[in-house]
Amino acid sequence: MKKKSHFKLLLCTVLVVFVVVLVAETLIVKVQATNLRKEPKFYSPTLAVLKAGENVEKISSQAGWYKVRTSKGLEGWVHSSAVKTKKFTLLAMDKSLKTQATADEVALAGKGFNKQVEEKYKAKHSEINFAWVDRMLKIKVTPKQLEKFLRDGKLGEFGGEQ
Amino acid sequence: MRASKLKIRVSSLIIITAVLISCASIQEGVEAISKIRLSSSDKEAIVKTTKALRSSFADITEEEEYYIGRAVSALIISKYPVFQNGALTRYINIVGNTVAIYSNRPETYAGYHFLILDTEDVNAMAAPGGFIFITRGLLKRCNDEDMLAAILAHEVGHVSAKHGLRSIKKSRLIDAFKIIGLETAKKFGPEKLAQLTAIFENILGDITEKLIERGYDRKYEYEADKLSVEFGTRTGYDPNGLLDFLETMKDDSSGISKKGWFKTHPSAKDRIDKVKKEINSLKAVPQREAVRTNRFKRAMKNLK
Repeated sequence: MKKKSHFKLLLCTVLVVFVVVLVAETLIVKVQATNLRKEPKFYSPTLAVLKAGENVEKISSQAGWYKVRTSKGLEGWVHSSAVKTKKFTLLAMDKSLKTQATADEVALAGKGFNKQVEEKYKAKHSEINFAWVDRMLKIKVTPKQLEKFLRDGKLGEFGGEQ
Repeated sequence: MRASKLKIRVSSLIIITAVLISCASIQEGVEAISKIRLSSSDKEAIVKTTKALRSSFADITEEEEYYIGRAVSALIISKYPVFQNGALTRYINIVGNTVAIYSNRPETYAGYHFLILDTEDVNAMAAPGGFIFITRGLLKRCNDEDMLAAILAHEVGHVSAKHGLRSIKKSRLIDAFKIIGLETAKKFGPEKLAQLTAIFENILGDITEKLIERGYDRKYEYEADKLSVEFGTRTGYDPNGLLDFLETMKDDSSGISKKGWFKTHPSAKDRIDKVKKEINSLKAVPQREAVRTNRFKRAMKNLK
């Protein structure tokens, strides 16, 4: 019995070490879409658009930004608020273990409060109007507009008094 | 018998370790380890160390926050008409996104989006995920871009610090997480969907009660003011814009002083005292620029 628990402890330790080593390497996109940018700036030109759930490899970090490499080999910058370090989950190895809730974003993708729940809610409340919410989401500010606005308004790195 | 069992266990441990070390990615690791035979108790022990149960607002995923935010926004829009002016809405969105990129949370699931509500009420509200609303009545009180930016930064602060999600009763989340955790299929069955939707409705009630009816806890409002000073200053805006706005709220004798921000926010005087302290602690305070005030005035012509 004692040996068994020792074994478990040892096994867990090995796995935890494995997790610690790997989380430093792989990042997963947690927002719907984020830009892979040429430079660590929000108004920097976009190299590619990364979608939710996409994995990228972390190369280095700098003041809230990560330099990353995509699966296609592209290198660029993503902001830390758009990604999370990938957690090691063994859910895939045994279906019987899926009975517990997990904080893992990948395992939960599309599973919680989702479109299906929204549709059900809408069916119950036809008086609640989502049309403007969808219109609101279509309003986009491009990196170019952002840069011009900052530059013209003497804001951010274009400001003098900071 | 026991010794040989132990040998098998130790050798399997060595194999697992070797496999893990040789794996280049988590995915490979999971695939490789899934081929190794372990007893279910061992598997459980491994899993317990690697994943935590969801229990609080902090465990709500970005995607779930987005769906909660969408519905809260739909409820706000159902209460107030939308002020439809493309040019002014675009201007508000660019000012808002500018402070958002200098916030503690520049990116949310679907980004920050701003809408003007067509009411004389003085109010601004932020739904989870980055849906932000500002009323025509509040816009009228702004004299320049730095004032507007300070108010939008206050709202971005609510999103960034997840004050909406913090207003959800914990018991609701625990019930919801239990249902979600038990679901193995991609789609919810009718019974679970009905249960989850009922909880979803209660969650919306928790948030809108605070957001529209009673206001957030005072500490959240003070925190959002503090974040407004922080994000605004980082962007290059004069944080005194927030003070200027709060001054207009002080000793307000207009008929609207019992609605909107007046009703849901702490007294202007208390907020002014705290904001002054924050500004005084700054090393440098950015100055206002005529170029910003000019473009603000041009955009605001669309308000009439």
